[in-house]
Amino acid sequence: MCDDCGCVSPSHKVVAVNQSLLAANDALAEKNREHIEELGAVAINLISGPGSGKTTLLEKTIERLGKELRIGVIEGDIETERDAERIRAKGVPVVQLTTGGACHLDAALVHKGIHALEDQLDDKKLDLLFIENVGNLVCPATFYLGEHQRVVMVSVPEGPDKPAKYPKAFIGAHVFMISKTDLLPYFDFSSEMAIKDALQLNPNLTVMSVSATAGDGFDSWLAYLRFLCQ
Amino acid sequence: MHEISLVQGLLRQLAELARQHNSRAISKVRVEIGPLSGIVIDSFQFGFEVLAAEEKLTSEALLEIVAPPIQYKCRSCGHVCLDQAGAPDACPECGHNLLMPDGGGDLILLQVEMV
Repeated sequence: MCDDCGCVSPSHKVVAVNQSLLAANDALAEKNREHIEELGAVAINLISGPGSGKTTLLEKTIERLGKELRIGVIEGDIETERDAERIRAKGVPVVQLTTGGACHLDAALVHKGIHALEDQLDDKKLDLLFIENVGNLVCPATFYLGEHQRVVMVSVPEGPDKPAKYPKAFIGAHVFMISKTDLLPYFDFSSEMAIKDALQLNPNLTVMSVSATAGDGFDSWLAYLRFLCQ
Repeated sequence: MHEISLVQGLLRQLAELARQHNSRAISKVRVEIGPLSGIVIDSFQFGFEVLAAEEKLTSEALLEIVAPPIQYKCRSCGHVCLDQAGAPDACPECGHNLLMPDGGGDLILLQVEMV
């Protein structure tokens, strides 16, 4: 129908589509997942705001599990190789994806990352693939990358209101990690409030409280990773 | 800011639909943006206006956004309530604090009108 007079123009078509705007991304993410599984790996998409301690968590995880499990890392950042250099120093294969301004990783970028990582693997085998997303609690939540598990992280200095303020990141996650818990004595951070708000959004969340530097709670994180790789 | 990438994806989807239906112009696009989709409607609208204007196919296209309210479902009694002012503290039906969002994360291209 035309907007001016209500007549039906013979060439006018109304097409019902009812398809997700993310359909193309999600289809590519499924391919990523197949590719990851061909390598024999479980993939974790790590999401948090900037400075919550994602890279430090990975460094400490590699120190503790690097001899036991074959670990690979895909780093997402807007600019620089800095995070990849930190991971490389721990002796595991790593690929840095720089988005050049975009605030999130998408399935197409990760597809490239998996290929680049595979080129670094002698036997094309991996147990655990970490995808460290761009530091941002908003945009990465929308894009499925092909991961098996999504871990959303909030550090103590950021405050306990993050689940309530950034619901999407928590609704789509499997694990909610409170990081930098060694700083709890110095900040007015109510773990109870953060956990209550997060579970209200997503009752299936596994909650972990961890200090990667002091080691508190780290064993449960490692136990979770070992369980995933069984 | 990821609204721009989503608009780019939408425009690619529209170009493909136009090709399938031998259409030369898209006149109207209806999209549903769920309240928990993480999408800022104004940014999406702005991105569409800017990017759609660059293509002949979509330069005249109107974007209609359907934004359903947030729906909460009580895990205790199953009661469903709508609330646009944030999560209610307790279920108005049974009083338990077991309300959780029921859907609302969708981002759907509903319908396209073309000539």
